[in-house]
Amino acid sequence: MIEVDSLTKRYGSTVAVQDLSFAVSAGRVTGFLGPNGAGKSTTMRAILGLVRPTSGTTTVLGSPYRELHQPEQRVGALLETFDAHPGRSGRSHLRVLALAGGIPRSRVDEVLALVELTGAGRRRVKGYSLGMRQRLGLAAALLGDPEVLVLDEPANGLDPQGIRWLRDFLRSLAAEGRTILVSSHVLAEVAQTVDDVVIIHRGKLIQQAAMADVEAMAAKATTARSPEAARLASLLAAEGVEATVVVDDRITVHAPTERVGEVAAAHGIVLHELTAERASLEEVFLELTGEPGERGG
Amino acid sequence: MMRLYLAELLKLRTLRGTWGFFVVALGLAALFTAGGIGGASDEARLEPGYQFRLVLDMAFPTGVLSLLLGIILFTNEFRHGTIARTLLAAPRRWRLVVTKLVTGATTGVALEIVALTATLSIAVIWLQALDVPLEHGDLADGAGRAFVGVILAGVLGAALGGAVHSQVGALVGALVWMFVVEPVCWALLGLLDWEGVADYLPAASLGGVIDSQGEGLPFAASVGMTFAWIAFLTVLALVRTARRDIT
Repeated sequence: MIEVDSLTKRYGSTVAVQDLSFAVSAGRVTGFLGPNGAGKSTTMRAILGLVRPTSGTTTVLGSPYRELHQPEQRVGALLETFDAHPGRSGRSHLRVLALAGGIPRSRVDEVLALVELTGAGRRRVKGYSLGMRQRLGLAAALLGDPEVLVLDEPANGLDPQGIRWLRDFLRSLAAEGRTILVSSHVLAEVAQTVDDVVIIHRGKLIQQAAMADVEAMAAKATTARSPEAARLASLLAAEGVEATVVVDDRITVHAPTERVGEVAAAHGIVLHELTAERASLEEVFLELTGEPGERGG
Repeated sequence: MMRLYLAELLKLRTLRGTWGFFVVALGLAALFTAGGIGGASDEARLEPGYQFRLVLDMAFPTGVLSLLLGIILFTNEFRHGTIARTLLAAPRRWRLVVTKLVTGATTGVALEIVALTATLSIAVIWLQALDVPLEHGDLADGAGRAFVGVILAGVLGAALGGAVHSQVGALVGALVWMFVVEPVCWALLGLLDWEGVADYLPAASLGGVIDSQGEGLPFAASVGMTFAWIAFLTVLALVRTARRDIT
């Protein structure tokens, strides 16, 4: 539904995106991740026809964005930069977008209610808080009830309730078969929302995988506690699994919990504890992007 | 295209600044008309062409306002970052440029209607009170030329805004060009006995459309030359807008 093929974008001598290829499937929420400056926003803007690729192509629903008929009814977008005139009311901003996009005016009040901005709809946008501006941007993205959503850092400025609402909302949209690409520079922020991840760094693709696979990368080791820890370690070693006795009743095993449990059960060894040790998702993310300790975007 | 055009009009209607232009247009038209009648002698008011000039002179301030509003209606998109959202609805950028030009013409019509209403209201009431017979043909001729001039100014402003994109740059550039650069050009060309060339400059061409003194190019040539400048700026606007990355 969204395809990026060999996309390269240069600004003068600066390479923002380099030979980037990935695809986003319908019915799934895909996280687009990378540190600040990784090229996420440039890629999203190329997908939306706002930035001209130096080379490569981007398509949405099988066509370049510029060739879509009534694009506002097919693709909803939230950009990182705020894009409403400060002197216009939130409601007027949406009315303008609805009129330009051929969207019924009644939809304006619907999306204002959806993002809980009905009460502030007639206020001028320059008086909006960061969170309200973000909600207005989401309302604009949802205005055309689109099949595809491209959201650049949508959680920015939202309070915890807002983030939870957004997460549930995106999940419900994906369940309806829509295509959702959502960027973030914090993996943990989107981990509960996304099905797949595309991780880029310095404009290059680092990883495209299912979120479950990324979570599997976070599994580091298994800790087992047993009155027969030493025997269990020997049995695991005999099966080719490395196990280290930490203290008398505790061992660390470089294997999934299921494997350790099965070996213990097969030999009638009592277990008092069987725990998977995990790296945080951020640690995995930083390891993938190759710059430990780097933050943001 | 029609939806985009209506959305452009809605954008203007939903900003207070736009209404400020109309209030100023109304005020300046009233002021110019009152000055034109009150400041003229009884003999001058009866001269042939007086009522034509009275109506047409008002087109100068209205034309300047139309030019500035034309610039603003395009450059606002870049100043406030609304261009990205606008282009999401109109990804074929030439359509946006054309729509902005048509919107510039529309704001010119609207400004001229407001200004002309004020001018004619004051002129009709005041001149009748002074027992000056109304020259309907002169008034209509003046109004017609004023409409053409103010509409062209709006389109020229929108084309300039599309070519420059920077609001401050376009506004300051337009005013400096009109009131500094072109007068200097006039003077320099005069020294070389090439005054006629200066008539083809942008402000002089537009000025020729609303010139009540019969100086410069004839009306039709002024309109044609202004169209040529609009075409030149429109090409620049199309190229710049099409090539620009919206980051």
